[in-house]
Amino acid sequence: MRLSDWQAEVQSYLLNGDVTPHPALQASLLGSAALTAEQGLAIYHNAYRARLLETLRGDYPAVHGWLGDDEFDALALAYLNAHPSQHFSLRWLGAQLADFIDGYLVPAQAAPLSELARLEWAFTLAFDAIEAPVLSMAQMAELAPEDWPSLQVRLLPSVQWLTCGHNSVAIWRACKEQTEFPGSQPLAEVETCLVWRDQLITRYRSLATDEAAALQGMAVQGWNFAELCGELSGLGEQAPVQAVTWLRQWLSDGLLQRYPTD
Amino acid sequence: MNAGQDSLGFGLGLRSEYYQAILEQRPAIDWFEIVSENYLVDGGKALYFLDAIGEHYPLVMHGVSLSIGGPHELDRDYLRRLKHLAQRVQPAWISDHLCWSRGNAHQLHDLLPLPYTEESLQHVAARVCQVQDVIERPLVLENVSSYLRCADDQFSEWQFLSALSELSGCELLLDVNNVYVSARNHGFDAWEFISSLPKQRIRQLHLAGHSDYGSYLIDTHDHPVSDPVWQLYQRTLQHLGPVSTLLERDDHFPDLDELLGELNKARLLAAETLQGGSQCA
Repeated sequence: MRLSDWQAEVQSYLLNGDVTPHPALQASLLGSAALTAEQGLAIYHNAYRARLLETLRGDYPAVHGWLGDDEFDALALAYLNAHPSQHFSLRWLGAQLADFIDGYLVPAQAAPLSELARLEWAFTLAFDAIEAPVLSMAQMAELAPEDWPSLQVRLLPSVQWLTCGHNSVAIWRACKEQTEFPGSQPLAEVETCLVWRDQLITRYRSLATDEAAALQGMAVQGWNFAELCGELSGLGEQAPVQAVTWLRQWLSDGLLQRYPTD
Repeated sequence: MNAGQDSLGFGLGLRSEYYQAILEQRPAIDWFEIVSENYLVDGGKALYFLDAIGEHYPLVMHGVSLSIGGPHELDRDYLRRLKHLAQRVQPAWISDHLCWSRGNAHQLHDLLPLPYTEESLQHVAARVCQVQDVIERPLVLENVSSYLRCADDQFSEWQFLSALSELSGCELLLDVNNVYVSARNHGFDAWEFISSLPKQRIRQLHLAGHSDYGSYLIDTHDHPVSDPVWQLYQRTLQHLGPVSTLLERDDHFPDLDELLGELNKARLLAAETLQGGSQCA
């Protein structure tokens, strides 16, 4: 058998759920007194699944905790069948799990589970996102008064913006703290959750609707500080105070970089 | 190449479980081997600790996904990133495995053995040359533990490694545990494997633990090095002289002190075997 044909046989064997090898593959192998060809193949077959399942369990501990071993593994194997690994690093194996859940389960079951999966994946994205210079309180203190109105900022690359319709953050926290599973509940009001890396620590925070709209306007849509104050004009004289309070919070969180960058 | 003055001494596989302890304790480890893929990321903790530890210890890069024997085109993006990482790390050398880990369609994430045929030899040798053109240094290739043997083999594994090194100029990472595991599984003589390799091509040794399943062994890297592997290591040193030695642990991580004790065992064995030679840092 040519090398590439043999490799295609091995690949097909590993990806197939059946541990029984194709006769052509079996015939291409020699066993020994210690290890038969079937045993040898089965070692690779088992290792392939075990390695990928371990990776997905590691990336999605709360989804795993919610579903339990059997249901999680069934979901993960269905996912792997639909999305065999394409990246050299297992780091990216689970990238499409949330989208897969949306198509795999009925919508009522899929919505809270895929939302939780998106939250967990956001932590992995924040964990190793590219660095960028953080806009600090000290830098802001040095900003000349005449430069405040035109001040523009952007979110740092590690910041992941999630919209939650369910109590996914509470479920994630219960898994992390190993406390009792709180049960999945829809939220009375859709909530914004940010996940980001501050120095080497991955952090998260839920935002009230008005704060989320202000941050979205300034750090995503590109309002300058004067425009932010303008958007808050309904608060009257309190508008600049509210804008400064939020800006301080975002700086203290380590969410922002200056725009345009130097 | 394997002369004592070129030996880095006794190193440990760098794993995230030990980052903090290494920086706090600065243990007497001569060098660290990194798994290259763990640092082919854009930012964050892994790169931070890589830079911090690299300030105090020599580093070597060891990859797991080059897939030098695979049926696919070599991954140019992977090689570009590997080279970029090498510029950051300035490794003493860059290694991967004589295996394939990717099929023509998908990543398989395992170190799969090759048939040891003339066709495989020509295929791998040509690809080693392509890789060496990119990384601008000899590639170092490790023998893998295996659980399969092909009926069409035209070479033994050691003949294949020797011929590959001769054809392509690659160097060899001799994993003593892998030789032992494969020898037990396939019924060949571990010493014939080691003693038949071209001495001057052996850049590094690996030591690790395996799991015993009765009639066969699996290379799990989750146990201390076994006594027969220590004996084989000692005999290897007698044969080769001082060679950079690396202890690997990938699961069931003990305290760093326990691994230091195991590394020290390698150091003492080497000193005893080489009659107090100058390999110790």
